[in-house]
Amino acid sequence: MQGQFASNDTHKYSVILPTYNERKNLPIIIWLLAKMFEENKLEWEVIVVDDASPDGTQEVAKQLASVYGEYKIVLKPRSGKLGLGTAYIHGLNFCSGDFVIIMDADFSHHPKFIPQFIRLQKAHNLDIVTGTRYRSTSKPYLTDATPGGVHGWDLKRKLISRGANFLAMTVLNPGVSDLTGSFRLYRVSVLRHIITVTQSKGYVFQMEMMVRAKALGYTVGEVPITFVDRLFGESKLGADEVVSYAKGVWQLFTGV
Amino acid sequence: MARAHRVAGVAALFITLYTLVFLQTLQVPFIERNTVDEVLPVIPWWLLVLFGSYSLWSLGWGLFTFRDCPEAYHELLSEISEAKNDLRGKGVSVD
Repeated sequence: MQGQFASNDTHKYSVILPTYNERKNLPIIIWLLAKMFEENKLEWEVIVVDDASPDGTQEVAKQLASVYGEYKIVLKPRSGKLGLGTAYIHGLNFCSGDFVIIMDADFSHHPKFIPQFIRLQKAHNLDIVTGTRYRSTSKPYLTDATPGGVHGWDLKRKLISRGANFLAMTVLNPGVSDLTGSFRLYRVSVLRHIITVTQSKGYVFQMEMMVRAKALGYTVGEVPITFVDRLFGESKLGADEVVSYAKGVWQLFTGV
Repeated sequence: MARAHRVAGVAALFITLYTLVFLQTLQVPFIERNTVDEVLPVIPWWLLVLFGSYSLWSLGWGLFTFRDCPEAYHELLSEISEAKNDLRGKGVSVD
């Protein structure tokens, strides 16, 4: 897997970025990823799984491929909006790395935390490392981890988030503090395994992945991350989301 | 076996034990019967209040320690403008 760097890291990290109308965000997130990977001398690629965005996301992805190289920015579009879970399955078919990073393309997840994910994974030979907004130290402990947090949330939003989290912690005891976060590093074989047994859709999907990982006996570490809520566009959280979340927790309680 | 089944199993065990002691089928060793009769009826309420106060404290503490990160926001904004300038120079269309 060794790339062109004189690095002692022999792994290759594949980022799967599911996109829908991310024309404005995609170049910048890829720029940030590329900068971080080059500075840390890591071998990398980004698989862009675009669900037929009408805003020209794919054109901009092609421009990026010509700047960074077509083996680095791999565009694998799909014919329509088919959902998050299947986007990862689709992306996994084209991964050439032995580790996969999943994250959002809207800047709520910053690539600067990926080196910490990787260090924690190496230090404890973990199967999964997940980002958490709720902790101030990593688990297991890592000296250079900085406290997590959120930006752009009012008290009500924080209360709902804490309440939802408390419900899941009490009912499911998943062993990780941030279940709905979607900034994670997976060993590629582990992601392939978990994703084939996961049934939920939407953001219950992220929760089910963690609960299944624990049930299957995989090791999971946590790194605190700062979460900057959508800079552009509204992030929605209404009564419908709360109800479907509670239903999701119940399904996992009775199903896993 | 799902988590629900395990939780139900443990709950059933405790409820059975409680009922047997309550109906005096089982005796609690080393504790006088009078004491047992006084304590037993309040145990479910005590557990309920315990769980309620734990939940409230846990939520409140979580809310109180939920950190804001304005520094991450400002850092991100400056990185975005840096990225845009750099990408424009390389011929990628950014607004």
